[in-house]
Amino acid sequence: MKLTIKNWTGVATWRWVANDDNCGICRMPFDGCCPDCKLPGDDCPLVWGQCSHCFHMHCIVKWLQSQPVNQQCPMCRQPWKFNNK
Amino acid sequence: MNNQNLDLKSAWITIKEAFPILESPSKIPDNDFDSAPFEAISIIKRLNLTQQIQDLVIIKIEERLRKEIVPDFWSHFKKTENEAAVFHEFYSVVKFLFHNYVQLDLIINKLILLREASNFTKPVYNQTCLHEALKLIVRAVLLSQLPIDHEWMIVNFYETALKMQDPEEENSTSGECVVCMQEEFSCSCREMFEETNKKLGKMTLLEPLVGQALTDLIYSYIQTHIQKICKDNFDNSHIESLEKWLQTVVISWLKKIYFHNSAVKAMDEFDKKLINYLYNTYTKIRIDQLFNIIIEYPDSLPALDDLRLCLPKTDLKPHLTRSLQKAIETRLLHPGVSTFDVLTAYVATIRSLRILDPCGLLLETITQPVHQYLRSREDTIRCVVGSLTEEGPNDLAEELVRGEAVQVDENISVDEGVEDWETWTPDPVDVVPSKSSGLPRTSDIISMLVNVYGSKELFVNEYRTLLADRLLSQYSCDTEKEIRYLELLKLRFGDSQLHFCEVMLKDIADSKRINQHIQQDLSYSDDDIPMSAMILSAQFWPAFKDEKLELHEKLVKQMESYTGAFETLKGSRTLCWKNHLGIVDLEIELADRTLNLSVSPVHATILMHFQDQNTWSLEALSKVMHVPSTILRRKLSFWQSHGIITEPEPDVFYLQEEQENNENNIQDDIVVEDFESESAMASAQDQREEELQTFWSYILGMLMNLDTLPLERIHQMLKMFAFQGPTIECNLQELKVFLDRKVREHQLIYSNGLYRLPK
Ligand SMILES: [Zn+2]
Ligand SMILES: [Zn+2]
Ligand SMILES: [Zn+2]
Repeated sequence: MKLTIKNWTGVATWRWVANDDNCGICRMPFDGCCPDCKLPGDDCPLVWGQCSHCFHMHCIVKWLQSQPVNQQCPMCRQPWKFNNK
Repeated sequence: MNNQNLDLKSAWITIKEAFPILESPSKIPDNDFDSAPFEAISIIKRLNLTQQIQDLVIIKIEERLRKEIVPDFWSHFKKTENEAAVFHEFYSVVKFLFHNYVQLDLIINKLILLREASNFTKPVYNQTCLHEALKLIVRAVLLSQLPIDHEWMIVNFYETALKMQDPEEENSTSGECVVCMQEEFSCSCREMFEETNKKLGKMTLLEPLVGQALTDLIYSYIQTHIQKICKDNFDNSHIESLEKWLQTVVISWLKKIYFHNSAVKAMDEFDKKLINYLYNTYTKIRIDQLFNIIIEYPDSLPALDDLRLCLPKTDLKPHLTRSLQKAIETRLLHPGVSTFDVLTAYVATIRSLRILDPCGLLLETITQPVHQYLRSREDTIRCVVGSLTEEGPNDLAEELVRGEAVQVDENISVDEGVEDWETWTPDPVDVVPSKSSGLPRTSDIISMLVNVYGSKELFVNEYRTLLADRLLSQYSCDTEKEIRYLELLKLRFGDSQLHFCEVMLKDIADSKRINQHIQQDLSYSDDDIPMSAMILSAQFWPAFKDEKLELHEKLVKQMESYTGAFETLKGSRTLCWKNHLGIVDLEIELADRTLNLSVSPVHATILMHFQDQNTWSLEALSKVMHVPSTILRRKLSFWQSHGIITEPEPDVFYLQEEQENNENNIQDDIVVEDFESESAMASAQDQREEELQTFWSYILGMLMNLDTLPLERIHQMLKMFAFQGPTIECNLQELKVFLDRKVREHQLIYSNGLYRLPK
């Protein structure tokens, strides 16, 4: 028997590679989106801080705007710095 | 003395000459009026015997009628086979009666002369006119000897005559007379008919002798006519033509008959009765046909319109309700009818009743049992959603395009209908208002179907499952079409409910783009196994059935490299493969044939293993693939049915390069699993079932401690203890369905409204 696979269409789910399942700010799953968004993934990305905590980008931005001074990570209270890898 | 005696004798002779009937009742009276009995009259007057002679003559007339004329008349009313003969028979028998009547009337003339001469005015039988008295006597004697089955001849006579003049009667087209079969111009049947009526009219016998028979005849004639017209024909309106037929054929014919009726009766009254009867009969027949009329909607619109116009003229609405309910129950709501057909009929019913009864109450009464029934069928939602999104002309899809927002009964707007108060009409009194009366009655079909379940959610979830299945089973499916449908559904169910589906469709579109990108990635190659992926946002898809499957190592490598390419493309993201899902296109070259198939990953993996190694024991293959042997056996049967794999000894499978000669009986007995029809999703109902199952232990505990409980109490207690935390609430109806199932499974006993545990 000669078996040729002409095409294999697989099914996969995508997920963020993060330490946690849920965003520490909005408590929503990372694989979903923040409360302000409708579409997950590219439209509602994650960002990491240098402290290694990560959040929905929209969530942390909103958080930082509400903290005009002392911009800290809401989880570990270290000064927040974006980790641009 | 002697002289006077002699005088009396000759006087009696003279009197008898004037009234021969006194001699013998059968003595035929003298027709010759010229010899007017003036002599006899003067004798009678002189002797002062006017009353005695008059009474005597009348007694003799009565005797003649009683003993000769009337028995002779009735003796002709015997049954005979020859229908054409009956017509002439009746004609001549009436002629005979009339002839005798005229003769008797001549005697009456003489009596009248006598009375005038003697100035005698005492009425006879309350009649001052003796002609009328004679008519009364004839009538009375006739009716006193009425034979039991006299009507048939009269009916037959008039029916024949009626056919003679009905242009819609088939025979009338041939130009031949229905009665004598002669050419119409040489036939005298019409004149005979006319003459008969005239004679009966002169004797005032039309009404007493013919009236009842004629009425019966007319009624049954109308009935037969309508039945003939309505038979299996719903696409014509008949009201106008029927009314015209009634006027031109029936009523004008009746008028011709009753024209001779000396005792003129209000024909107008009878007119109204007949029109009323016409409407009643037509409406009844249409009501009997209503179920078929509904099924043939919209071709049957003319029949429906007729019925709508007829209903207010009759009082048959309660009859309609009962009859239609019964028809639906016996013809629709049983296991022999597929859910799809029930739905189709249901939609047709709604549309038809909208026409019949715009106020909607009838609709509510009729469709309630259908709702209850649909609720009990497991595949209803799936079927509805399927029809909604199906391609091609389809009633439900059409309704969807009508694009009204779904009104769920919970959201009643209080001021509904206030703007159009001017056109408001009260509900008819003949419909039993149901509990929900007072709520806005919607006749939007999709809303009604959703209301069957009480929640949009269940509906939308089922749609989501269906969409997921469709997307996963045909990667190439027309996403644009799906998006169009989604937009329509959004108009109905609202954005938020369908947002998940939007993401699902976007996932598929994104996947195609990602695949293209990865194909262009120079560090990625899939020459060995061309690969594409459907990359899903897990949070937005329905839960997948969990099935374990270890893929062939070649594929695992290919997937790893695909995952790598994905990770490069989309930073910080990775893929979790659902090994058992997907579609594999295979080309299988065997010694004697080549097959091209699209199969599931499990099936493909099995064959990949057989490519490495010709023979596999079930156990070994099960271990390699991580698939339980019972399931694996089912999957193997797919290849067995294609004659590629055989099982010559128990639990050992061989690859079979060449098919045996007897191609036709390739393991017919193997149950082939239909891979297309299997859903990858856990159905919404399955999931709900699972949720409800979590309450079961609470319920068991309650019943163990409290013995018996009514439904409401169980629900209350669950509310207090079990519905806490993230679990979804469960309404009374749902709980009842759940408990009833437990009763069917003998895990509960239900009696007198109370649930308890079996001993
Ligand atoms: Zn967040
Ligand atoms: Zn966002
Ligand atoms: Zn931190």
